[in-house]
Amino acid sequence: MGIEISKIQQILWAVNAAVGVFLLVLLAVRKNYRAFPVFSFYVLVNLALGVLAFFMYRRWGFSSLSSRRIGWGMQGAVICARALAVAEVCRHLLARYRGIWALAWRILLACAVLVLVYSSVAAGQVWERALLAVDRGVELSIAAVLVGVLLLTRYYNVQVKTADRFLAVGFCLYSCFVVLNNTILERYLHHYGALWNLLGMLAFLASLLLWTWALRKPQTAAVSQESLLPLGIYESVAPQINLRLHSLNERLSRFWKPEATRN
Amino acid sequence: MNVTLFLFFGFVVVLLLLLFWALRGPRKLTKPEAGTHFLQETGKRHVDFLPQIRQALAENDSLYVFQNAPAFVARRVRRERRRIALAYLSAVREDFHNLLRMASLVARLSPEVVALHEFERIRLTVVFAWHYQMVHLQLRAGLIPILGLDGLSDLVSGLSVRMETAMNELGERAALAAEMASSLDGRGPHVA
Repeated sequence: MGIEISKIQQILWAVNAAVGVFLLVLLAVRKNYRAFPVFSFYVLVNLALGVLAFFMYRRWGFSSLSSRRIGWGMQGAVICARALAVAEVCRHLLARYRGIWALAWRILLACAVLVLVYSSVAAGQVWERALLAVDRGVELSIAAVLVGVLLLTRYYNVQVKTADRFLAVGFCLYSCFVVLNNTILERYLHHYGALWNLLGMLAFLASLLLWTWALRKPQTAAVSQESLLPLGIYESVAPQINLRLHSLNERLSRFWKPEATRN
Repeated sequence: MNVTLFLFFGFVVVLLLLLFWALRGPRKLTKPEAGTHFLQETGKRHVDFLPQIRQALAENDSLYVFQNAPAFVARRVRRERRRIALAYLSAVREDFHNLLRMASLVARLSPEVVALHEFERIRLTVVFAWHYQMVHLQLRAGLIPILGLDGLSDLVSGLSVRMETAMNELGERAALAAEMASSLDGRGPHVA
């Protein structure tokens, strides 16, 4: 047996697993896997890999090379599943509106890429911690995308279902926490390792509880699209509205500078 | 390393603030500024009261009051004029937000939106918010001379009439389009 796992971590691990199983059961019983198939897959993958990691660390300990390699590999799989689940949540939030969604997913993708670039630039060239930096970059992108999609829903006055909102907030808060946790880990690598795991598990537990609360009731399966206007309406109305907004702005700015008004 | 720490923590703080802002319910657009509130209660738009407002903001009236009335009356008049100016500023903002609401409704219900128009609207919204806050602060602080507020009545008179016409025109077109879309009920080429 490798390095001894602390009691608190073991308890937390068990609690996380139990809440994860409960969430999966809830998804099955309420048939919410129909509305959120990718999210359900993510919870399943996360749970399965968590159990696998538990046995792996018990077998080889935290600091063995095999544990680290397999551990980061599993982390990569979990992040990919999470990114897909986040895409599903974004789709739930905006895909009802075809025009906005077509614009939004491009903006969000661009935003994710930009944040990834920002992360890699901000992290600098520390190759031995490249995995940590990539992990942090992806999590930061996920958080930015979720904030972006929620801003778009507010900007377009889109009605957001409580379940979608809670799922998005759960993902976003967890990703933000992982970014902070990884940044601190990078700085205090040797002293922070055990606490890093513990705090990460606590944050994930909070997200699990949020998702469980969000999915306590059955959700509608399909993302039904709204009845749409004929194409020409937008093309004629949008420039007119912008023109009027522009003229309002111009008048307000003239009022702001009264001397210009008098000229 | 400290720079990295700062960059990531800063970014996360900004994200959390934006998240909090995005999750808040939409702000009440009309503050209970005396003028607009009253106009809403009576079911009339500010344009209906334009002659009275124009009179209230007229430079000649103000000069007459400042020259002939006691100081306390002049002060009161100045206060009242500022209140009217603020109420009208709110009305302008309300008009702006009405247009924005209409624009977002049309965008929501359109099968395609043009990025250029959408980004332009975001830019205009940010610029308007900035100008609005500046004018509002200057009015509150008394930095804009009350006698110079005649420009405001021009602003409101021209604006209100044109806005009213525009809103009605656009509203009718949007309503007509919505009616057409619902009557097609999924059978038209642009109807999902």
